Amino acid sequence: MTPDGALLSLDGITRLYQVGSEVVRALDGVSFDVQRGEWLAVVGQSGSGKSTLMNIIGCLDTPSGGVYRVNGHDVRGLADDALADLRNHEIGFVFQTFQLLPRSTALANVELPLIYRGLPRRERRLRAEAALRSVGLADRMHHRPNELSGGQRQRVAIARALVGEPSLLLADEPTGNLDSATGEEIIRLFGELHARGHTLLLVTHEPRLAARCPRAIRLMDGRIVADGPGREVAAFGTAPVVTA
Amino acid sequence: MKPVRRALAELQESVRIALGALVGNRLRSALTTLGIVIGVTTVIAIVAIIQGLNRSFEQQVQVLGTNTLYVDKWKYLNLEGDWWIYRNRQPIGVRELKAILRESQVAVAAAPSAWIRARVDRLDKELTSVSVNGTSGDYLAANGGGVREGRFLVESDVDLARPSVVLGYDIADQLFPGQPAPAVVGQKVLVAGHPFSVVGLLERRGKFLGQSLDNLVLIPYTTFQRYFGARRSISIAVAAPPGRLGELEDELTSILRRVRRVPPGKPDDFTLNKQDQLLKVYQGLTTALYGVVLGVGLITLVVGGIGIMNIMMVSVHERTREIGVRRALGARRSTILAQFLVESAVVAALGGAIGTALGLGTAQLIALASPLAAAVTWQAVALGLGFSAATGLIFGSWPAWRAANLDPVEALRYE
Repeated sequence: MTPDGALLSLDGITRLYQVGSEVVRALDGVSFDVQRGEWLAVVGQSGSGKSTLMNIIGCLDTPSGGVYRVNGHDVRGLADDALADLRNHEIGFVFQTFQLLPRSTALANVELPLIYRGLPRRERRLRAEAALRSVGLADRMHHRPNELSGGQRQRVAIARALVGEPSLLLADEPTGNLDSATGEEIIRLFGELHARGHTLLLVTHEPRLAARCPRAIRLMDGRIVADGPGREVAAFGTAPVVTA
Repeated sequence: MKPVRRALAELQESVRIALGALVGNRLRSALTTLGIVIGVTTVIAIVAIIQGLNRSFEQQVQVLGTNTLYVDKWKYLNLEGDWWIYRNRQPIGVRELKAILRESQVAVAAAPSAWIRARVDRLDKELTSVSVNGTSGDYLAANGGGVREGRFLVESDVDLARPSVVLGYDIADQLFPGQPAPAVVGQKVLVAGHPFSVVGLLERRGKFLGQSLDNLVLIPYTTFQRYFGARRSISIAVAAPPGRLGELEDELTSILRRVRRVPPGKPDDFTLNKQDQLLKVYQGLTTALYGVVLGVGLITLVVGGIGIMNIMMVSVHERTREIGVRRALGARRSTILAQFLVESAVVAALGGAIGTALGLGTAQLIALASPLAAAVTWQAVALGLGFSAATGLIFGSWPAWRAANLDPVEALRYE
C-alpha cells in the first residue's frame, strides 16, 4: 500500500525514555523497510534497543519521533483502541516463554485473537483448527499447555500468531526457552512458513539464529550498525554492511 | 453487527475466564464470596421474616373486620407525642352509644366496650388477668366471631344489668377442662369476685399479633358499670355495610359532635379509629425496620465488596503477563476492563445466590421453630442477587480499571 510496496516502513524512528532526570535514547534514528515475504532477524546485545524496536514494530509502543507505517497505516497519533485493532489484524506475536493461557486448551488459545476480532464461533473454531494443523498439532488441539512439550507449546503459540492471517509474524527469542533440537525444529517451521510466503521478523541475541535468516539487522546503542545477509551480520565484527 | 458480535464473543470469553478463575482458585473464591454470602444471607432472612409478618398481619386485620369504626377517646397507636390532647377529652359514654343507636342510618350494629383486666375463677380454678369486656348484644355483629354453645348477651341482660357472662374459648377451656360445652352453660363463675352465670361460649378466634383473642369474658356493659364504675371511657364499635365506611364516618362525626356539643370550627374531641390505621402504623414500623436491615446489609456488602476488591487486585497482579498477552493479541482496554468486571460480578453474584438460598432457608427454619412467619418473595431474591452483583461491579471497577490501563509493554515484561 505504501508507494514502494514495503510492508513495514521505518523512517528515522527514535524512542526516548525518561529515567529519573536523564533522557535515555533507546532508539536513535532507525530506518529500514521490510518487504512482503521477507524473513529477517534483528540482533543485538541486551540494551541495544532491539526490545524497544520490537515493541514499536509490534504496535505495543509508539515512537517518540520518526514515521512508522505498517501495511500503509501510519501509527502516529493512533488511539489505544486503534493500535489494539492494528495489532489484532496485522501482527502475530510469538513470545520467548510462549505465553499461553494455562487453563485453556490449545484450540481455545489459538481462537483468542479471533474473539477480539469478533468472528462467529464456528469460523473461529474452523480457522483455529486449520492453524493448529498447519503447525503439525492436529492431534493436540484439546490439550492444555501443561500437557504439551515446550516445542509443542511454541507451535501452539505460532498457530495463535498465524490464525488471524496477520501481515507480519513477530517473534521474540522464539527458541530462547527450548533445547537446541527443539529450537531447530521451530526454526525449520519458520523456514516452512517463510516458504509459504509469510513475512517473519525474529528478534534475538543469538547470532546462530540470525545466521539462518536471509536478512539480519544488527542494533547497537539504538542504531543500526549492520543490515545484510543473515550469515554476514551474525558474524560479529566481520566486515558488517553498514547502511547509509 | 460486528461490534455487537465482538462484544458478545468477548463477554462469553470473559464469563468463561471468570468461571475458570473461580474453579482454579476454589478456596480463595470461597473465602472471597464468604463476606457477600453472610451479608446477603442476613438481609434475605430478615426481609423474608418481615414480609411474612406483614402478610400475616394483613390477614389478621382482615379477620378483625375492616368495615368497623371504633369511637374512642384515644387514637390508636398515637406516636406523635400530643397525648395530652386525648387525655383531656371527656370520656366516651353510654350517652354517645345511645345517640348512635338512635340516630345513625348507616350503622348496622353498634356495640360498646368497657374493658378491664380482672381475676376469673371457679372452684379451685383461678385465672388472673383475664380481659373482661362490658358490651351489648351487638358485639358479634360489630366485632365478628360467633357463639358455639348457649346464647350471646341479649337486650334484657343489658337492660336489667344481669350477671350473665359469655366465655371466650380459652377461658372456657381452662375453667371447665374436659367438660362438654353444653354442660358448661348455666354454671357459675366469679368475675372479680362477683358471681356470674355462664350463658354462652364463643367460637375460637385465634391470635392477633401473638395475643390470644380467646382469653376474654363478655358481660353486659350495664353490669360492668355497676361493678367497675360508670365513669371510665368506653369504646364503641360501629359496623357499616360493606363499602360504606366513609359514609358512616361522616355520619358518626356529625352525631358525636352534636351530642358532645363541639362548637363549629373546633376539632373533634373524639377519635374514629379504624383497623387499617393499625396496619399503617405497623407498616411504618416495618418500613423503619427495613431501613435498618438495609443499612446493616449495606455495611456487610461493603465489607464483602472490599474483600472482592482485594482479591481482584491480587488477581490482576498475578495475571499481569496474561493481560499483556491479551493486549498484544488485540484486546482493547475496554475488553480487559469488561473481563475483570465480569469476573468480580460473577464472584459476587455467586455469593449472592448462595446467600439468597441460605437466607431463605434460614427464614424457613426460623418460621418452623418460632411463631414468626416467613414469606419468600421474588423481590427479596432479586434484591439479594442485584445488590451482590452491583457490589461486585462497584468494588471490581478499581482493580479492573487498573488492569485495563496497564501498559502492554510493561505487562509483558512483568516477572
